[in-house]
Amino acid sequence: MQTVKMVISGAVNAGKTEFIKTISEIEVVSTERRASDDTKLIKKETTVAMDFGRIAIGDDLVLHLFGTPGQKRFDFMWEILSEGMLGLVILVDSTRPETFRETNRIIDFFISYRDTPYVIAANKQDKPNAWSPEELRLALRLPPHIKVLPCAANDREMVKDVLLGLLDVIMQRSDD
Amino acid sequence: MALVGNIRDFGLSDFLYLVDRGYKTGCLHLNRLDDSASLYFDRGKLITATRNSDRSTVIELLVGKGKLNESEGREALSVYQRNGSHPLSLKLIESNLISHDELQRVLQQHIEESVYILFGWPEGDFRFEQNQRPELTAPIMPVPLPVEHLIMEGVRRIDEWGRIKDRIPNTDMIVKFIDQPGDKAKGINLAADEWRVFARINGKDSLADIARKTNMTDFDVCRIVYGFLTAGLVDVLRQAPPVGIGGRAIPDAPRVKKSLVSRIINRIRGM
Repeated sequence: MQTVKMVISGAVNAGKTEFIKTISEIEVVSTERRASDDTKLIKKETTVAMDFGRIAIGDDLVLHLFGTPGQKRFDFMWEILSEGMLGLVILVDSTRPETFRETNRIIDFFISYRDTPYVIAANKQDKPNAWSPEELRLALRLPPHIKVLPCAANDREMVKDVLLGLLDVIMQRSDD
Repeated sequence: MALVGNIRDFGLSDFLYLVDRGYKTGCLHLNRLDDSASLYFDRGKLITATRNSDRSTVIELLVGKGKLNESEGREALSVYQRNGSHPLSLKLIESNLISHDELQRVLQQHIEESVYILFGWPEGDFRFEQNQRPELTAPIMPVPLPVEHLIMEGVRRIDEWGRIKDRIPNTDMIVKFIDQPGDKAKGINLAADEWRVFARINGKDSLADIARKTNMTDFDVCRIVYGFLTAGLVDVLRQAPPVGIGGRAIPDAPRVKKSLVSRIINRIRGM
């Protein structure tokens, strides 16, 4: 059985857990605990270890989805999770510009030193005052070739479109 | 839909960059304590600005600055109110009450003074209302002002590392010009120290190298480069890949076969 891995990252409360829950075929394995630091001001429970979802592609191939912990003190997990990943989705809460700097830090971590296929998912597009994908591109200073895709993490079709967008990027650099 | 936030989290110069690159038209409203400001943009360029809900017309402003006398002002406003459909500023030029260059100079100076002080705000709520336009009698500049000019001046007023470090985490980073600065460089006037740094940018030297070669402090070099970066003139890059956990280099993503990717695509499409 071959397994391939995609990583779903983003700042605290960007929607990573919801994103994986929406598309995973199995009950998401999530080690959520009551937050013990300032993240509890944002939501009562936040991811302190990781989320894990799974999609069977066939009898011999499985896609694993890993959500990274949002808080800075778990940065060390990012490097472990990103080993051997096929690609990366970075979720942004489009309604909270106060998280854009943290998002840039996450992009910088994953992208600066290696050639990683990735897309940005502009999450919470269903909420009022969400910044549009093009506004997010400018706010995050992303180059034109990076896809910024509209997303609502609880909408299965939008989550599928984000993953398909990432797979398109991976396809362009894959071998014949 | 309005863009809302706080300049503590998303700085004024970052917002100006977004307005410029997004060719935005509308009004940026800023509020802090008892202070407020409204900056109006047309296709990414600043056309006027007001502080504390000041609704003075361009005539009141010019009379206040001694550029028009009161009777000329009253007459011009009376004529304008009967058939005005364009900005009053332009009508004043057409009526030869003031020259184009003089009006531009007076309004630009007035508006810049309103805006520059905003760069000193440590925080403040902002709200950008798309397509909101100023009243036609407002002091609208004949030639809209490119925001790079404002960004550079605003950055000259930054006196703390915090904001700079968001974009320039350390002085080992390499500075290079962006591939196609286009017209961006044209609207910018550089001070002598800024030219010294500008001339040292070669895509090879780090910020620390530039500081050493120009005999400037790391802070001053970083502040100046931060301005270039915010105005979209340069990019900063990390020098060399770090070593990962256990002394290993961080590997690139594995290359996979197209057939495998196709299978995943088909599976997800079918879900």
